[in-house]
Amino acid sequence: MIKKFGLTLGGLQQKILNLVLIFMLALMAVFSGVWFYQQTTLGTVVGDASSEQQKSIEKVSGDTMHQVIDGSMTKTNALQAYIADDMFSDVKTDVATLQSLATGLFEHMDSFEAHPFELPDPAKDGQFSAQVLYEEGVDYTKSEYLGVAAHMSETMIAMCKQSDYLDNCFIGLADGTILCVDDKSANKYDENGNLPNFLVRERPWYVGAESAGELWFSGIDADTYTDKIGIECAAPVYKDGKLIAVVGADLFLDAMGDYVNSASSQGGYIAVINNEGKVIFAPEGNGIFTVETSDNAKDIRKDENKELAGFVSKALNKQTGLTTVNINGKEYYMVGSPMNTVGWTVISFVDKNITEQPAQLMISEFQSINEDAADKFNDSMNHSKQTIFIMIAVLLILGSIGGLFVANRIVKPVEHMTKRIHEISGTDLAFEMDDIYRTGDEIEVLAQSFATLSKRTISYIEQITKITAEKERIGAELELATRIQADMLPNIFPPFPDRSEFDIYATMTPAKEVGGDFYDFFLIDDNHLGMVMADVSGKGVPAALFMMMSKILVNNFAMMGGSPAKVLEQTNAQICKNNDEEMFVTVWFGVLDIETGKVTAANAGHEYPIIKKANGEFELFKDKHGFVIGGMSGMKYKEYEFTLEKGGTLFLYTDGVAEATNAENQLFGTERMLAALNAEPEADPKKLLENMKKSVDEFVGDAPQFDDLTMLGVTLL
Amino acid sequence: MTIESKKDAGKLTLTITGRLDTVAAPKLEETLKESYDGVTELVFDLAKLEYISSAGLRVLLSAQKTMNKQGSMKVINVGEEIMEIFEITGFTDILNIG
Repeated sequence: MIKKFGLTLGGLQQKILNLVLIFMLALMAVFSGVWFYQQTTLGTVVGDASSEQQKSIEKVSGDTMHQVIDGSMTKTNALQAYIADDMFSDVKTDVATLQSLATGLFEHMDSFEAHPFELPDPAKDGQFSAQVLYEEGVDYTKSEYLGVAAHMSETMIAMCKQSDYLDNCFIGLADGTILCVDDKSANKYDENGNLPNFLVRERPWYVGAESAGELWFSGIDADTYTDKIGIECAAPVYKDGKLIAVVGADLFLDAMGDYVNSASSQGGYIAVINNEGKVIFAPEGNGIFTVETSDNAKDIRKDENKELAGFVSKALNKQTGLTTVNINGKEYYMVGSPMNTVGWTVISFVDKNITEQPAQLMISEFQSINEDAADKFNDSMNHSKQTIFIMIAVLLILGSIGGLFVANRIVKPVEHMTKRIHEISGTDLAFEMDDIYRTGDEIEVLAQSFATLSKRTISYIEQITKITAEKERIGAELELATRIQADMLPNIFPPFPDRSEFDIYATMTPAKEVGGDFYDFFLIDDNHLGMVMADVSGKGVPAALFMMMSKILVNNFAMMGGSPAKVLEQTNAQICKNNDEEMFVTVWFGVLDIETGKVTAANAGHEYPIIKKANGEFELFKDKHGFVIGGMSGMKYKEYEFTLEKGGTLFLYTDGVAEATNAENQLFGTERMLAALNAEPEADPKKLLENMKKSVDEFVGDAPQFDDLTMLGVTLL
Repeated sequence: MTIESKKDAGKLTLTITGRLDTVAAPKLEETLKESYDGVTELVFDLAKLEYISSAGLRVLLSAQKTMNKQGSMKVINVGEEIMEIFEITGFTDILNIG
C-alpha cells in the first residue's frame, strides 16, 4: 500500500473515505435531481399559470371591451344618425312646407295681386332678404310667376331665421327666374358689379326634382357662392300637372363634416354614406373610406371587399350591431345606423387593435409583472442554487474531513497494531493491550486475540525451547554415545603396525546416531587373531548398551582362551541372565591362526561369511548356524574350521549390507555384494570395503538407510 | 506394514503384510500384548511378509517365549527370503515353522 499525504492508498482509510464520498455524492445526486425536478415543475407551473392568466385577461378584457364598445358605439352611432337625420328631416319638412305653400299660391294665382320683388341689394348683405336672379335672355320683370312666388318671401325669410340648419332657401321658376333667400346678397355680384347668368332650369336641384317628380335630395355639392359643402333638398311644384316651379334649400353640412373629422381624434372614425353607397363624409386618413366628388365616387356596396360591401348594404337599411369587419388584414369594429330621411347611413368604426390596446397594455403590464416575478424567481432560484452548491461543497469538505477522522479512528489502532506486530521478533514477543485498542469494536477483540495469541506463543516458545534444549541435550549425549561407541571399536588403521602377516580393515556406518552393529578384532596371543562381527536387534541407545555389553563379554571370554563355541555359549548364558527386554545379538566369532591361516569360528545367528581363496573369487561360505545370543538360555553352538590361504581374504558384514534397500524396495542382496567384491578381488581390505560402500550407496540412491553398515575384511599376506 | 488379526476361540491368527522392520516392530509388539489374553494357539501367517529385521525377529522370539508359557505358537507360509533369515539367525531351531 502506498502512502500519500498521510492517506494510505487502497487502505481501509481510503475505503471508508470512498464510502463516505460515494454516499454523499449519491445523496447530492438525489438532492440535485429533486431540486432540478422542482425547479422545472415550478417553472412550468409558473409559466402555465402566467399564460393562462394572460389568456384569461385577454378574453375578459376583450369581452368587456367588446361589450363596452358594442354598447357605447352602437348607441352613439344611432344617436348621431338620429341627430343627423333629424336635420335632414327638418329640412325636408321645411322644403315640403314651401312646396305646399307654392302649390297653393300658384293654384290661386289669379285671385291676388303680384307681390313686389327685387334684385339682390348688397346693402342688405348680412341679413336675410329675398333676391331675384335669372337666366340670361329672360326678362324677369315680365315674369308672371315671380309676383306669385314673392308672396312667399316673408315666410322663406322667417324659415331661414328659425331653422338651425338652413341658411338659405329658394324657389326656381319654370320661366327661368328664381327667388332666393339668404344673407349674402353682396356675393351675388361679380367683381364688375354684374349679376352672372344664373341657369335656373339647369341647376342640379332643379333637374333632380323635376326628374324625381317628388321631394329630392341632391348629392354632396359645393355651394355656388360660399363653396361650403352641402346638399340640396328640392321639391317640384305643379299646376294643372305642369311643372311651374321647384322649391328647395341648401343644407350645409360643414357642422357634420367637422363632427366627423373631430371624431377621428378619439381613435375611432365616423363616415357617412349615402343611399347610392357613396361616401359623403369620412375623416382623412381613416384607411377605409375616401370622399370623392359625386361623379367619381364608388359604390361601396359593390366594393371588392365583400365583407365591407355587405356591411354597408346592411347599414343602409337598418341599425347594425357591433360588427367585426376585416379590411386589408386589419380588423375593425363597425356600427352602422341608417338615416331614414335620406336613406343614408352613419358608420362608426374603430381599429380593433386600438380597442384592444387597454387589454394589450394590461397584458404587457401583466407580462412585465410576470417577467419581474419570473426574474425574481430565477434570481432566487439562482441564489438558492448557489447556496446549495456552497452547501454541497461545505458538505463535501466536512464529509471528507469527517470520513478521514472516522477512518483515522478506525485505521490508527490497526496501523499501531500492524507496526507493533512488525516489531515483534526475537525476544520481543509480547503484544500487550494498549488504550489505543480499546475501541469497543472488532479491533479491540482483534487486539485482545493478538494479546492472548502473543501470551500463548510466548509460553509455547518457552515450552519448545525447553523441549528443544532437552532434545539437544539428548542429541548431544547420543552423539557422545556414538563417539564412545565408535571409540570402543578399534579404529586406528593399521591396528598392528608391527604385524606384516595380515592386513585388516573395518568400518561401521550407523544408520542412526547410535547403532547396534559392532565389529571387533584383537590379538588373543601372538599367533591368534580374534574377529567379531555382531548385530544387536533394535536400534538406538538400548541397542548400543546391549552392544557394549555383548562386545565386552565376547572380548572377555575370548581373551580367557575359550574356543569360539564356548565363548558364545558363555556370552549367551551371561546375557540371558538379565534380559527382560528380550534383546538379542547375532554374533560371528572366529579365531585366526596367523601362522597356518586356519580359522576356528562359531556363528550365533549371523550372516554367512564371504571367503576368497588365493587368486580366487569371493564366495559365500554357508556355515553352521546357531541361535542368536540372548534369545534363549542354555543354547549350544557348533564350531567349524576353514583355512584362509595366503593371499586369501575373509569378508564379514552385517545384514545392513545385504539388506540395504533401494527406492524400489529391492534388497542389495548377496549377489550384488559378491559382484562388488569381485570387481577388484585382489584389492586390499580398505579398498574392498570402499568398493562395497560405493556399490551400496549407488544402489540405495536417495532411499533412506535403515540399517547400520558394518564390514570387516582381513587378508592373509 | 499391516497386521490382520483373526481370532477363533483360543486361536489367534495374525497375517503380516509388508516389511517388519525397526519402525514396524513396536506396532506388532503392541498388538500382541493386547491380544495374548486367553490365546492358547498363536499363528503367524507370513505369506505376504517381504522383509524381517532383527527387531522383527525379537518380537517373534518374545511371542514364542510368551506362548511357551500359555500354549503353542506356529509360523506358517514362510517365504524363501524370510526362511533364509530364519536359517541364518538360527530361528529355525526355536520356531515351529509349518
